[in-house]
Amino acid sequence: MDYTELTTEPIDITSVARRVVPPECGATVTLDGYARRFTKDKQTGETRETEYLVYEAYEPMAIREMQKLVEQVKSEFEIANVGIVHRLGKLEIGETSVVISVAAPHRRAAFAACEWLIKELKRTVPIWKKEVFADGEVWVEGDSQAPAL
Amino acid sequence: MKVTVLFFGATADTVGSRELEIRADEAATAKSIIDQLSKDHPALAKHKLLIAINEEYADPDTLLKDGEEVALFTAVSGG
Repeated sequence: MDYTELTTEPIDITSVARRVVPPECGATVTLDGYARRFTKDKQTGETRETEYLVYEAYEPMAIREMQKLVEQVKSEFEIANVGIVHRLGKLEIGETSVVISVAAPHRRAAFAACEWLIKELKRTVPIWKKEVFADGEVWVEGDSQAPAL
Repeated sequence: MKVTVLFFGATADTVGSRELEIRADEAATAKSIIDQLSKDHPALAKHKLLIAINEEYADPDTLLKDGEEVALFTAVSGG
């Protein structure tokens, strides 16, 4: 089965991956996205050290947008099931912020679909990340235009 | 008419609120709501804002209806 969830609890990556597996599949590709300590600033090239992250979502719309991605990815790739779980609230460095699992009969489609899903999630799903540093904090603004108008 | 305006992340910090009920005239659009809010919160105009109406991405010129929910937020940064 497919599923999309938001949670404030730590994400169990293995269980996300296992929930998407049907008998006709031979490969599951799972992305484990987690909070990074060092981020290079795209403009200045300087490296900032992050202390922790805070994620927030427009929850009902985020679920709807994730469900749309699942529908779309299944129509465009030879895959069976998709699971997406995104963490909200405060995350320590190294904690998992997002898990995407794609089960498919063959691995190639699963890799491609997983890559497509994270790219689209970062562009369309209304979730925001705040980076907190020793000397300040910033809500990260993505570089996307308004999607799908 | 009245619309509910929701803010998240950077826009919530800028406005100092997560939800406002706003009185608007019948020809109000998402853009006119942003203009109206920017008078009290000029910093709002510094952001490139995305708009959702009733949980769907929408164009700034979309006409609003009574009771609708408008969300104003910056480009998303999940993942």
